Amino acid sequence: MKWFRSLKTTMNLWTVFSVIFVLLVLLPNLSIIVQFFAEPNENWLHIREYMLQNYIQNTLILVFFVGILTLFIGTSLAWIISAYDFPMRRFFQWGMILPLAIPPYIGAYTYHGILNYTGVIQTSLRNQFDVTVNQQYFNIMNMPGAIFILTIFLFPYVYTITKAFLARQSTALVENARILGSSSWRIYFRVVLPISRAAIIAGVSLVILEVLNDYGVVSYYGIQTFTTAIFQTWFGMGDLQSAVKLSGTLMVIVLGILVVERIARGRRQFSFTTTKVKLLQPVKLEGRKKWYAFSFCMFIFSIGFIIPVIQLIYWATMTYEQLFSHDFWQLIWNSVSVAFTASTIIVIMAVVISNFARLNRGMLAKTFPKITILGYSIPGAVIAVGVVTLFTALDRQLFGFYEWLGLEPTLLISTSLFMLVFAYVIRYLAVGYNSIESGFDRIGTNFTEASRMLGMSVTKSFFKVDMKLIRGAIFGGFILAFIDIMKELPLTLILRPFNFDTLATKAYQYAVDEMIQQAAIPSIFIILVSGIAIYVFHHVLEKE
Amino acid sequence: MLNRKYVFMMMALIMTAVVLVACGGGDEEPQNEEQPEGTAGQGGEDAGEVNIYTSRHYDIDDEIYADFTEETGIEVNIINGAADELIERMNREGEASEADLFYTADAGRLHRAKDQGLLQSIESDIINENVPENMRDRDSEWVGLTQRARIIAYHKDRVDPEELSTYEALTEPEWEGRVLMRSSENVYNQSLLASFIELHGREEAKDWAEGIYNNLARSPQGGDRDQARAVVAGEGDVAIMNTYYLGGMLNSPDDEEVNVAEQLGIFFPNQETTGTHINVSGVGLAENAPNPENAVKLIEYLTTEEVQETFAAANYEYPVNPNVEAASTIQEWGEFDSQDINLSILGENSAEATLIFNEVGFE
Repeated sequence: MKWFRSLKTTMNLWTVFSVIFVLLVLLPNLSIIVQFFAEPNENWLHIREYMLQNYIQNTLILVFFVGILTLFIGTSLAWIISAYDFPMRRFFQWGMILPLAIPPYIGAYTYHGILNYTGVIQTSLRNQFDVTVNQQYFNIMNMPGAIFILTIFLFPYVYTITKAFLARQSTALVENARILGSSSWRIYFRVVLPISRAAIIAGVSLVILEVLNDYGVVSYYGIQTFTTAIFQTWFGMGDLQSAVKLSGTLMVIVLGILVVERIARGRRQFSFTTTKVKLLQPVKLEGRKKWYAFSFCMFIFSIGFIIPVIQLIYWATMTYEQLFSHDFWQLIWNSVSVAFTASTIIVIMAVVISNFARLNRGMLAKTFPKITILGYSIPGAVIAVGVVTLFTALDRQLFGFYEWLGLEPTLLISTSLFMLVFAYVIRYLAVGYNSIESGFDRIGTNFTEASRMLGMSVTKSFFKVDMKLIRGAIFGGFILAFIDIMKELPLTLILRPFNFDTLATKAYQYAVDEMIQQAAIPSIFIILVSGIAIYVFHHVLEKE
Repeated sequence: MLNRKYVFMMMALIMTAVVLVACGGGDEEPQNEEQPEGTAGQGGEDAGEVNIYTSRHYDIDDEIYADFTEETGIEVNIINGAADELIERMNREGEASEADLFYTADAGRLHRAKDQGLLQSIESDIINENVPENMRDRDSEWVGLTQRARIIAYHKDRVDPEELSTYEALTEPEWEGRVLMRSSENVYNQSLLASFIELHGREEAKDWAEGIYNNLARSPQGGDRDQARAVVAGEGDVAIMNTYYLGGMLNSPDDEEVNVAEQLGIFFPNQETTGTHINVSGVGLAENAPNPENAVKLIEYLTTEEVQETFAAANYEYPVNPNVEAASTIQEWGEFDSQDINLSILGENSAEATLIFNEVGFE
């Protein structure tokens, strides 16, 4: 009864929509969750005996190092760029997001292509200087190599989210620390890291989830992780049930991490409410210092963007005839339109759910955020199976209706783009959600409460007050989701309608056959489109 | 003022999204409505269509499908994806599936589709005449279209082909630290071991996997082309790899890759004993195919002499049609005897092969 009463008091449109959205996310995952409780079969025992321990160990190593490295690279860049002025700072502000435009598996192929025996470095050494090097020194296909690739192409998650926080919210504390004479390092460790904890955690957990789900990089570099185990079981043994059981385990681990994080954060609030948002004023660096700051940024930017892009362009010049044989405009249009549609839906859903969750107490409000992560914690290919099951069942239910309309009983929804967009939304809801949640986190609820006290409804308060405060976060979430979808592979491959190709599927079809030169042109287009999105995003924010 | 502008922008964004979704739906529906009409409604005047779920993704495939459409008027629709994901999609779609053909580059996967009841037998004298029996499924549920051999590539300077004999010989102590092979996750390695299970039994197959693993020059990494590079770079002396990768490297736009391939020799192992391991890329007829006649027509077309020649040559594979000669790059490698087993066996044993690889710790 008590529960019912509390439900009644919180009942409004936000609640209704949140519940609907969360159910939509849950539905396709149900078929996966059910499998999780299935009896273990022989293959499962085999996996446990021969594979699991090693795979878990590798996964932990990978997650730990990529997590730590992205944390330090992302936050230190965010700090330097927000707090200091030095050459090219204005460019780096958005340039540092660009590595995100390169799909990590393309980055993995590219760096291997640069460093291997037929790569540009070894070839020049051999042909110009007659030096043949020990292959071990140039081998990137190992654990450190995978950590490097994943770090360098994923750190922008931490960078963007932390920087958005620092620029707007840290001014008072940082300026006080400056006045009190703290050194830059001291401020970084004693002030910046602690106060941006919520933002850092949001960023790092996106990175960790990406790493847990990565299949392209680890399988190419021959590193056995949890995801490899899932696919080995599915593809090698043809046992989808055990594969799903493994994904379920992964999901439980991820949810566990998130719960621990919530508990650790406890009741401490990290939001500041002042009547005016004061932007952090960058201090102009002089002399040697400004070149240190510049070199650090330039170094990261080079390995994360310039070097791989130059290599891709070089390969593209070898295969430029392709430009005439494929319709790249069509590919770009396909990629952009589905990514745009899906990210818009993601942002709307994320705003609704997170606004509901922050303004309400109780079970529902606490559980919903975790459910949004669900899709992001399972490998895309496994989600695809859940989505196909759901939509085929839906189509079957609708057979009668189709017949009434005079259509052949057939699969209408599950052979349409609708299914693909739906799957994207489930998969990447967490990306939009995390960004928007951390936006809400830093404004707290004071403004909203004030607005409610003055008699505005939740909806009115949202449009008149909250949305204006978190627009940066909303845009950030949109752009991150958009770029992720541009790069997405397994869902697109398996759920697309007939004859529907995107840039990512084109790049994949060549890369998987080790025809990296041919994969270069579609890859460059992915980077170009995502790069433009990043630039526009920055420009819009800047203008404010 | 800025704020109003912002709200306006958000509204515009949402509107665009809604319109896009609506358009997406709009674009989609007519396309889908056409499909049933095209096949069932006006089958007489319209030649109809054929839908392929394929894990092959070579440009030549599209060209050949386009030729087929021109010749017969039958539209060819394609979904690409990884073989196992496509199998699962067909499974989930069940009776309503629109797939007519399942096309993939490994006999093991074709068998898996058959095993799950996703295929039906193909009845066509033309196909039976064009494709030798061992490259067809026992129940004719799938047909091989091109074949490739998994051979030993050796460094021409460092290895005398006289030293090479069989796959088994590579497990001898003299090859310690000299052999290169990619990860056991790869389906070609699973099929290779599956053939050994058939020929020698589980125990010997396991000994072989263990022996090769102990003789590896480095832990398995990269693709087949990477194994070739590693041989030339001196990390090892021989690599177990598929023929068409070498063909691809010899004709690569990158001169350095050509250079690497030219330093390698190709050895067809087990000529005196069980024969060299071959695999096919092949196509199965879907159990619930909405357009089975068109599907069979397409398979027949793909096995004809004229198509086989270009089809196989484009990816440096061997044609299955015995009346067709292989491309010149491939002919230079010489002729060979292949394993005398029905390729269905590769599929029947592939799960077992994966288990063995895991047991011996072959990554």
